[in-house]
Amino acid sequence: MDIIFLVLALLALFGATSTIMFSNTVHSALGFVVTVLALAGLYALLNATFLFMVQIIVYAGAIIALLLFVIMFLNIQQSHAPKEPNKYLLMLVSAIVIVPFDYLLFKAFYSISFAGDANITTKDFGNIKMLGNELFKNWILPFEAISLLLLVALIGAVVLARKKERA
Amino acid sequence: MIEVSFMSYILLAIMLFSIGIVGVISRKNIFIIYMSLELMLNSINLILVALSRYFGSMDGQIIAMMVMAIAAAEAVVFLSLIVSLYRLKHSINIDDYNSLKQKGTL
Repeated sequence: MDIIFLVLALLALFGATSTIMFSNTVHSALGFVVTVLALAGLYALLNATFLFMVQIIVYAGAIIALLLFVIMFLNIQQSHAPKEPNKYLLMLVSAIVIVPFDYLLFKAFYSISFAGDANITTKDFGNIKMLGNELFKNWILPFEAISLLLLVALIGAVVLARKKERA
Repeated sequence: MIEVSFMSYILLAIMLFSIGIVGVISRKNIFIIYMSLELMLNSINLILVALSRYFGSMDGQIIAMMVMAIAAAEAVVFLSLIVSLYRLKHSINIDDYNSLKQKGTL
């Protein structure tokens, strides 16, 4: 399990770094796919089997596919990419600025203590039956609100992206 | 061999979140900024799932699933906005999207 975690973590970090480093947009999107799939593997390691499937279907299958489709639909060439002369300097400065925030976050999580033995879970923890029970017993209102949000996003996307007819 | 514990997941999530912030600050390509935002959402999801696993409660996974649904809705609206902006400006450089900027000062 340790080896699997290390490999997946390195893959996720590699994909994330390549996402922000490449100047070609399609290459960045392919790097992001690597990160998404590695994170799906980490969910599986954490007993979240249903989220593992959802991550692959929704992120790698829908969101990244839509992103790549839009990039190719707009026909973005390498020459369209904006010139970024001081990209690496900005990356260095922002990485230095973010370090104190990271330290604070790490300290906050380090102080969490877990009651009982955290290595033991029930057999069906994280599978679709338990998740569905929890979702429809305690989280029914947020669930319905999200269905409304998805409908609004659908209509909004159609309104925003259609061609304006000449008046 | 290192023991894989809660803190190793948190450390990985913090690193991914920082890479996302660095991408948002330093790049000018609108698509790469969008992918960095998604990267930050994904790292938060990893924290939620790890907390859910180590507290033995399903609530973290439910919230992670809702974050995914909101990310999908956000992706649709963001990409359609990019399409209509690209029709208007013929550019994916964020420095060209300055219609709301106050002219004259600075």
